[in-house]
Amino acid sequence: MSDTAIHLTVLLNQIANAVGRFLLAPLGFLPEVAGALVVAVVTGILMLIAFKYTSHQSAIKHVRNGIKAELLALSLFKDSVAVSLGSQWRIVQGAIKLILISLIPIGCMVIPVTLLLGQLSLWWQARPLQIGEDVVVTLALNENDKTSWPNVTLQTAPAMEITQGPFRIRSRREMCWQLQARASGYHRLNFVVDGQPVEKEVAVGSDSMRVSIQRPAWDLADILMHPAEPPFQRSSSVKSIRMQYPLETTWTHGRYSPLFFHSWLVFWFIGSTIAAFCFRGILKVNL
Amino acid sequence: MRLMRMAVLVSVLVLAMSESAYAYVGPGAGFALAGSFFAVFAAVFSAFVMLLTWPVRLLLRFLFGKKAPAKARFKRIVILGLDGLDHGLTTTLLAEGKLPNLAKLRDQGGFQSLGSTLPPISPVAWSSFQTGVNPGKHNIFDFLVPDEQTYQPKMSSVEIRPPRRVLRIGKWKQTFGGPDIRLLRKSRPFWSILSEYGIFNCIIRVPITFPPEKLHGVQLSAMCVPDLRGTQGEFTRYTSRPLDQGRSHGGAVVSVVPQGLKVVSKLAGPPHPSRPELGPLKIPFQVTIGDRDNAVLKIGSETRNLRLGEYTEWIQVKFRSGLTVSVSGVCKFLLLSVEPEFELYVTPINIDPEKPAMQIGYPSVYPIYLAKKQGAYATLGLAEDTWGLNDHVLSDDQFLQQCMDTDRERELMFFDALEKVPRGLCVCVFDGTDRMQHMFWRYHDKLHPARPAEIPESHINAIGDLYQRMDDLVGRTMAKCADTDNLLMVLSDHGFNSFRRGIDLNRWLELNGYLSVDDSRRSEDYLAGIDWQKTRAFAIGLTGIFLNLKTRFSQGIVEDGQEASQLKNEIVSRLEGLLDPLSETRAIKRIYQAAQVYNGPYKNHAPDLIVGYDRGYRVSWEAANGQTTRDVFHMNTRAWSGDHCVDPSVVPGVLFCSQPLLSDRSRLLDIGPTVLDLFGIAVPSYMDGKALAIGDRAGPRANNAENIQGSVS
Repeated sequence: MSDTAIHLTVLLNQIANAVGRFLLAPLGFLPEVAGALVVAVVTGILMLIAFKYTSHQSAIKHVRNGIKAELLALSLFKDSVAVSLGSQWRIVQGAIKLILISLIPIGCMVIPVTLLLGQLSLWWQARPLQIGEDVVVTLALNENDKTSWPNVTLQTAPAMEITQGPFRIRSRREMCWQLQARASGYHRLNFVVDGQPVEKEVAVGSDSMRVSIQRPAWDLADILMHPAEPPFQRSSSVKSIRMQYPLETTWTHGRYSPLFFHSWLVFWFIGSTIAAFCFRGILKVNL
Repeated sequence: MRLMRMAVLVSVLVLAMSESAYAYVGPGAGFALAGSFFAVFAAVFSAFVMLLTWPVRLLLRFLFGKKAPAKARFKRIVILGLDGLDHGLTTTLLAEGKLPNLAKLRDQGGFQSLGSTLPPISPVAWSSFQTGVNPGKHNIFDFLVPDEQTYQPKMSSVEIRPPRRVLRIGKWKQTFGGPDIRLLRKSRPFWSILSEYGIFNCIIRVPITFPPEKLHGVQLSAMCVPDLRGTQGEFTRYTSRPLDQGRSHGGAVVSVVPQGLKVVSKLAGPPHPSRPELGPLKIPFQVTIGDRDNAVLKIGSETRNLRLGEYTEWIQVKFRSGLTVSVSGVCKFLLLSVEPEFELYVTPINIDPEKPAMQIGYPSVYPIYLAKKQGAYATLGLAEDTWGLNDHVLSDDQFLQQCMDTDRERELMFFDALEKVPRGLCVCVFDGTDRMQHMFWRYHDKLHPARPAEIPESHINAIGDLYQRMDDLVGRTMAKCADTDNLLMVLSDHGFNSFRRGIDLNRWLELNGYLSVDDSRRSEDYLAGIDWQKTRAFAIGLTGIFLNLKTRFSQGIVEDGQEASQLKNEIVSRLEGLLDPLSETRAIKRIYQAAQVYNGPYKNHAPDLIVGYDRGYRVSWEAANGQTTRDVFHMNTRAWSGDHCVDPSVVPGVLFCSQPLLSDRSRLLDIGPTVLDLFGIAVPSYMDGKALAIGDRAGPRANNAENIQGSVS
């Protein structure tokens, strides 16, 4: 079941990558805030439409009106504790009904939205390396056979110079290298693991670029969060390869402060929510 | 909005602080989930606050609240008003065993006739009910009164003026705030006195409560609440027939020309708020005809299927003026005919209870609460479109359907009130009983001139069926008020009788030399052709004759004092003997002089003479509108065939009580004092009504009853 889900996710990621590369390409040249705004507004509207057609609109309206009525009843009939408690119980009942009604649209939207967020994270979670900047690349080995340690080499390339490493962290079954970027563009790091070639994509440049932080392990969550590159098979000696790209630090991108792990996600959420709220009247959607 | 803001805030925090933020699935589902959590939070928080503050509120009320001098005899008093329920007919149906619930109520408590007011018409009667005073103190004498400057009729109970704040820049004009609405009913409702003592009141659709007044509790206004056009209920009929074939009294008729299967027209709404010269605001709509029985209506953002002979649900219509100003109303559509002629009926555009254009309840959120709770409902003062039936636009069935829909809406409000108000006063008036008796009495009265030769099977017993439906309502109400500490009263403001013949009082006054009218202008409404320099008395409204007094009217010619007194005596002596040439019977039972029958500061606003018609008679349609025809007597052939604008002795109302009625005689204006007395509050001396003696079928109650005053539940 799990393998089937992973295979399916990989397939969906391939489609999402193809569509995302095309539809999100303007993010490469738009100013950061403008790009983030456009994406938030457009996706907010699209999701609102999806919600409209996947939810039971009249039931939502009915339940919401019921909740509002009972909220008003709390102020209108506050003389009676029993009546107020009755209203409060009906509010709770209404809220539960609303959650149940929302399960269908949630079910319908969870996959496309997750794929979308995966694509957006490629653009907004981290920025590409700049020429001359150092980066640590970590290759995690699978734990299928804890006693053996495969023979791993990283081939040198003109675009990425190995400045330190490899270092072995035996307790975590990881190997690290420090690299320095030498040329702009998308490059590939070529590893050889027990004679088998293994690749990882690297992005170098001063503009906005799709950045794949990690080539994921054979794990559903990992694959969803790092959709750009194909995952390593369960049988592979390599579990994953991760690069410590510098995180974005604006309030629309990456990580704005230590408190906010996903400021881009917060910005997108607020933007899409406001857009949905603004367009709900025009599109006649009951939320 | 607050809910949304909270939902967004909660969601942002969740997203910002959690690595599992990818679980978020978009604004729609996000709103739904966050909103639900917020609702639960709000409910729990408010419960916490309420329970925490309850002892404090109780203490404050105990320390600082006004205390009634005696203990309340009942925890809750429920008054169910059935407008126009006739004492005679009720007695007959009770004897026939057709009203089992009312019979049960009579047997366990009491049943009496209830004296109405002079005149026995709803605005006067319900004003006396709520204030406990005679019309001379509450200032309501009829539906209409003549303006003392222009003689034009105006509403007696409410005055609606345009908004007072206007910003003008050249030709451009912008109004601010709502219209200036003033209640002309004077004195004070008894629930206002109950409010002073901290007793909760729920007052639903009691006539003459518009604009709503402040009280401790909730209130929904009724009679005199206008429609969105500012009228008391103007329907619209769209027709492809030539217009002269469809003269209408109570509605607007709009000519349409079907183009293939499409009919395009506009629905007229309220006048333009800042530039009335532009006419009313309008919304375009389109009807696409499917087949003989079906069509599709597109209006504003709504698309509805129309089925021949079936009302739509309430449809919200928004009239916009400019980018930011919009007025919202609700109306129902009824497809009357597709071929050979297209006919579409639209109910009067009611004020949208969810977004009221003016205050129609107290507090102002109460109508909104009801709309959220039960959906849109009729807010118009006279919700049932009697003119639609009178003008033959609606059929009997279609009118009946409208009445029953309105009753259903009212019932939902009433039973919700019974749930929400466990202590205090709960009053609800159902006025469909009045409208249906007005319109279906011709089936009840075998001698009525408007009675058709063949009566549809479903309407032969229309009035009896109506009484039985109300009996059923009473039964369900009794079940909700079964506790011994509840008192239930079922009452009506007046009874009913047949309206076979109309009397044109203005013609009679003309024939007797009291009034002069331009012969070419007789058919004009509102006293238009009258020569005021030669007119000493005139009639307008349903029961009144006015002297053209110098001290009262701008073109008055009659001196107040002896001349006026002589004139009144003269008219009374002549008019009381008026015989109907058709039957050689007296048409008028008694004529009352206002100065003698009313007392109070407003008795001079009353018509000088109030005509108490005998059974079967009423003022003619024409005279009521201020016309002067060529005949004194008119046969009433309209569907509006029952009436109560007669002598009060002809149409007593009913009073049922769940406790024994010990007083021999009860009047409508005794009800307010009775309720005050039952709650242990002294009856104010200005009230004309007296507290009725209510017995106790279960022995002395005072020992068991709690003192409701000061209680917070």
